[in-house]
Amino acid sequence: MTTQRWVPRLHLISEPSVCSWERLTVLLPALLEAGVEAIHVRSRQAPASELLTVACTFRRLVAPPRILVVNDRVDLAVLSEADGVHLPEHGLRVAMVRRLLGGGRLVGRSVHSVEAAQEAVREGCDYLLFGNVFETDSKPGAPGRGLAELRAVAGAVSVPVIAVGGITPARVAEVLVAGAYGVAVIRGVLGADDPVGAVVAYRQEVDEVLRHGDPRRVERETRRTRWSADAG
Amino acid sequence: MTAWRGPRLRDALRLYVITDRGLARGRPESEIAREAIAGGATAIQLRWKTGPLSEALRVGRELRELCRQSNVLFVVNDRVDLALVLEADGVHLGVNDVPVADARQLVGQDMVIGFSPETLEQAIDAEAAGADYLGVGPVFPTRTKLDAGPAVGLGHLERIARAVRIPVVGIGGITVDNAGAVIRAGAVGVAVISAVVGADDVRAAAARLRQVVDEAAGLR
Repeated sequence: MTTQRWVPRLHLISEPSVCSWERLTVLLPALLEAGVEAIHVRSRQAPASELLTVACTFRRLVAPPRILVVNDRVDLAVLSEADGVHLPEHGLRVAMVRRLLGGGRLVGRSVHSVEAAQEAVREGCDYLLFGNVFETDSKPGAPGRGLAELRAVAGAVSVPVIAVGGITPARVAEVLVAGAYGVAVIRGVLGADDPVGAVVAYRQEVDEVLRHGDPRRVERETRRTRWSADAG
Repeated sequence: MTAWRGPRLRDALRLYVITDRGLARGRPESEIAREAIAGGATAIQLRWKTGPLSEALRVGRELRELCRQSNVLFVVNDRVDLALVLEADGVHLGVNDVPVADARQLVGQDMVIGFSPETLEQAIDAEAAGADYLGVGPVFPTRTKLDAGPAVGLGHLERIARAVRIPVVGIGGITVDNAGAVIRAGAVGVAVISAVVGADDVRAAAARLRQVVDEAAGLR
């Protein structure tokens, strides 16, 4: 299958220890309205029955073009009629997932190296999630893999690479300039005092870079800004 | 290949061995399963609680093949997607897993669905929802499953076995010394982890358990 699927630029990943399912359910319509394009249902701790209930609840709140993505579990994705599945680096194989999921669904994978990224593209992933780019409380003790590694991954593959891990609105431009197609956030939104305001800030940064078209131009401008700041 | 659902299932549930990497003391799942089957195991369940799924896939493929060759029921715990991908004969669900009716929708009419009820009501509901067998326990105190809660006892198993038409398997703390009582309480078989997986001689442990179960069931 070579059908090009639309890939969201701004992803929000759930984390019930930061923002409860109940609170996220209440917030979600406003977050989507503010510019979240994909909501990922994910929790390492929550049992399958709970995740299924959440995914089915979110399904009623997420309408095209925004999408609902279920992490890891294809069974839950099928049952909740999710738009996609996000696989861990060592999760199920894409071919298996597509067989269970049927056509027209988005399948992505987390990758942590150029080699894993290339392998994920070979097996047919629609997009990749690379991180953690910066240090983050979501991965305590794991140093950021950095913008250079992000650039290497994005440069090595033909599919959109979404950057994740410690990305604040102020860092969106440099992440996109490094080659990321979009960003995924957890605490940047769910841990913010004003989650909707945070989404607006991320959205503005993403849109700002997109408006400039060629990211390299943004890079020049970013550099120029930095020079003038230094000069000032 | 005859379908596992239906009358054949009772025989396939006589000695149900569940994998556990922590108890296997370094021996691979495939070795444990091969020995258990040689000793008389009638069902093997892949139970995967930690570690990457890619590893569960690799192990699962080995168990799938072994069970196919030996005509033994192969069941995957918890994950319906993994059961489908591995072409398992069955999937086993608990109260916090995908609901039985939803799982039935995913797996179709051929795959066996097992369920572990915590109450009599859940047992009756699961049968109505399409479960093919029940795993009831822990019948006796066990330390294998730390989340299993206190022992429910033989009386609980007996009440459930009387209330449903689908076969019931006893699980939890079952040894050669008490397996007979589990069968006499109404179970068609016993599910074990440590009694077989943790044994020095897996084959002999499985054979002894199988003998006790068969004798209690009046098959010998």
